[in-house]
Amino acid sequence: MATLELVNITKKFGDFTAVENINLRVEEGEFVTLLGPSGCGKSTILNMIAGLEEVTSGEIYINGKQVNRLSPFERDVAMVFQNYALYPHMTVEENIGFSLQLRKRPKNEIQAKVRKVAAMLELERFQHRLPRELSGGQQQRVAIGRAVIREPSIFLFDEPFSNLDAALRIKTRGEIKELHQRLGVTSVFVTHDQEEALSLSDRIAVLRMGQLEQYGSPEEIYSKPATKYVARFIGTPQMDMFAGEFVNDGGLYYQVGSAKVAVSDTLQAPGVSVDIGVRAEFVTLGAKGFDATVRLVQPVGPFTYVTVAWDDGSVTARVNGVSRLKPKENIKVEINPKELLFFDRATEKRLNP
Amino acid sequence: MQSSNDYNRNRYHLGLWFTAPAIIVLLIVLAYPIAASLILSFLRVRFAGQGLDFEFYGFTNYADLLKNQLFREALFRSVYFTVVEVAGVIFLALIAALMLNHPLGRHAFFRVVLLVPWALSPVANAVLWKWIYNANYGILNQAIIGLGLTQENIIWLGSPWLALNMILLADVWKAVPFIALLILAGLQNIPSYLYKAARLDGANTWQQFVHVTLPGLKTTLVISIVLQSIWALKVFDLIYVLTKGSPADSTVLLNYLSWRETFSNLDVGYGAAIANVLFVLMFMLALVYIRALRPRRIKAKDG
Amino acid sequence: MPRYLTRFFIRFGLATFTLLSLGPVIWSVVTSLLPLSALTSRPPDLNPLNITLENYSLVLDSSRGLFSGLINSFIIATFTSAVGLVVGSMAAYALARLNLPGSNKLLLMILATQMFPGIVIAIPLFLVMSRTHLVDTHFGLIAVYLSFILPIVIWILKGFFESVPMELERAAAVDGASPIQTFRYIVLPISLPPLFATGVFAFIEAWNEFFFAIILTRINVKTASIAIAEFSGQYQTLYGQMLASAVLASVPVVALAIIFRRFILEGFVEGAIKA
Repeated sequence: MATLELVNITKKFGDFTAVENINLRVEEGEFVTLLGPSGCGKSTILNMIAGLEEVTSGEIYINGKQVNRLSPFERDVAMVFQNYALYPHMTVEENIGFSLQLRKRPKNEIQAKVRKVAAMLELERFQHRLPRELSGGQQQRVAIGRAVIREPSIFLFDEPFSNLDAALRIKTRGEIKELHQRLGVTSVFVTHDQEEALSLSDRIAVLRMGQLEQYGSPEEIYSKPATKYVARFIGTPQMDMFAGEFVNDGGLYYQVGSAKVAVSDTLQAPGVSVDIGVRAEFVTLGAKGFDATVRLVQPVGPFTYVTVAWDDGSVTARVNGVSRLKPKENIKVEINPKELLFFDRATEKRLNP
Repeated sequence: MQSSNDYNRNRYHLGLWFTAPAIIVLLIVLAYPIAASLILSFLRVRFAGQGLDFEFYGFTNYADLLKNQLFREALFRSVYFTVVEVAGVIFLALIAALMLNHPLGRHAFFRVVLLVPWALSPVANAVLWKWIYNANYGILNQAIIGLGLTQENIIWLGSPWLALNMILLADVWKAVPFIALLILAGLQNIPSYLYKAARLDGANTWQQFVHVTLPGLKTTLVISIVLQSIWALKVFDLIYVLTKGSPADSTVLLNYLSWRETFSNLDVGYGAAIANVLFVLMFMLALVYIRALRPRRIKAKDG
Repeated sequence: MPRYLTRFFIRFGLATFTLLSLGPVIWSVVTSLLPLSALTSRPPDLNPLNITLENYSLVLDSSRGLFSGLINSFIIATFTSAVGLVVGSMAAYALARLNLPGSNKLLLMILATQMFPGIVIAIPLFLVMSRTHLVDTHFGLIAVYLSFILPIVIWILKGFFESVPMELERAAAVDGASPIQTFRYIVLPISLPPLFATGVFAFIEAWNEFFFAIILTRINVKTASIAIAEFSGQYQTLYGQMLASAVLASVPVVALAIIFRRFILEGFVEGAIKA
């Protein structure tokens, strides 16, 4: 178990800056996710933490000790790779025990430890099989076993679920969470799936084009996104944004086309142009509010997402259960003014009104 | 400030150690001789007693080459040989590859058939054809006389133009398998959905061949042409075994000429000069090869 | 064209192709099994009862040099491919994975070495080797053979090593393997098939080589190729023996090619294209 600190980490490939000035600290036992779309630099950062990629500038500290010059093994980190990277010519047993074999541990010690890990991951029956004889989920567990047996200070996960189908993903997600609760090892997890990040992490680092957009707990990231990008990246469905103008007409409103969006009565119009965003669960359809027409109705089991539009905008509302609304119907839209999020149109940062 | 960790530094060092043996060997048996060959061609080398006598000769060797009729004829013959061989090999190999690509030809047996001529040594190939071409008892003569095409034995390796072309035939026979395999690999790299799309667009078999197969084979064909040209220029074993250059030096090609000048006529500098001319020819072909393999920039399409 | 007609033409084509490819070879084998009298009668006497092994036994008579030629070829081909594999695989791995600067240029140079005539290097090498008494030695010939075998080995193996997923080597590094350990425990075991195939290919190339052999050997290291060339010169009217010697010298390589055909076909043909 260890703390991890990245100080001013930058990575350049020739002229191309992949990662720029990343500062973050992971506490002992925390599960932190690096979240972002492809190409945002999250895997690069992970590889730098592991020691597989050289740092262009900046320092990495594990437990307070600078590790830039140390090899991956010396840093006492273990990694679960995206494609599992199991040694194809070795059995499950040999795969898991390889790191111990390299350190020339006695055979019975290796056997005992491998058996224990295999039992924990429900792999006892497969110990003598080769990777190609296993299913995707089983292979992944072997990859995890290979990391677990090292008893490392830090676990690193590089998008380990991307090769699994949807149902298996969710199941394995639960297993990882249980594993973390059980072993309590400091973990850094990379993914592009924001749901995954929200469900697994103690804190999330949202990355965009090599830069850190926000670093905080799932609740913070969800309800108090620091930038427009974070607001739109997190949450299903994507947060709707409006561009409009403030109007004082017997009370302050935000005018979007013909729609008047009520704002909280304590609000004073901010001095800059803003975009306003709101989550679907705070949009109500019914008899009160401004006029709109139903455009799309998408049931997803426990909810239905209904998208409505008016002359200058559209918004999606979350309706409990099944909705009887149909496209082209007219409806009135009400948005909870306390849940509006304001973003400076120029800097894209969130304002606290 | 770049920080480099042990892992990456170790890899770099290991890389140096790992390539060192190969580089050393190649420097000795490849780099040095190439350089030496260039120098030798500017010298006049004579065998004096036990050793060699080197005398600076400038470009005289090269000048002599151009004046020498035998050299010019050998050059011409080499070019002829190469062009005809490449054309013949590509044509036959393409047909063979197309047949082998067809469902009927997918059997492993045909792959084995291809490998047999390829695996033979060029000398064994030469011996084989020497026997077939034998004027008195060779099967070629027996066959054409038996079929009533002529009355008398043809001395295949006896008349100048004929001998050269019989050597050509023997080399083509041996060369087709490898190129056929190359083209076959190229054919199998053409995605089948292109053919399906063409069929849906109404193309018949010939049109599919012209508009899907041939364009898809472009790189493969270029590679085949260059490789086969280089190999055609290297022909030696066949000449040595079948004709040794006769009749009347009519089957002397550049490679053989260089060897003969150096090791039979002992004019080392002159032989080296011929070798270098051959080298330049092949080098230019190699450049074409390398350029053909460079990834092409995607041309923007209109519309 | 109606399908049955296409199929007919293809069948016909395949049959012709097989006949033309194997015909000369089969005829050679048949010839080698017939006595001279049968071969010199017109038309040749193909009565199966004439089959004899006398050509082979005469050809293997030690004074004719074929037997020692086969031994020499075996020694040379084995050592050439062994050394070529060891040295070449290390260099290929370094070029594929070990971050060497200038590896692209090195690679192009290696490719270029395939494309020039042996005579260019044969002349200077002969001069040097005569002075250092390396002419007509096994060592000398093996060294010279490496000049064209090494580049091919490096070229083919580099392609294979590059196709080993980088993740595997990273996993090994995280597990604590040094680069050498990664090479020895992970990369090499996975690459056994292409290593083997490349070794076989190198063996075949070395065995079949003739040009350097006649320049750089005299009496002691006569290879099989030289022996059969002599047969076609000296004893050329002994047709059966001439062909028996060619068949004997070809059997090993043809057999190897057939046995390892899948490796060879997948291996270097793709290598030539992937370049």
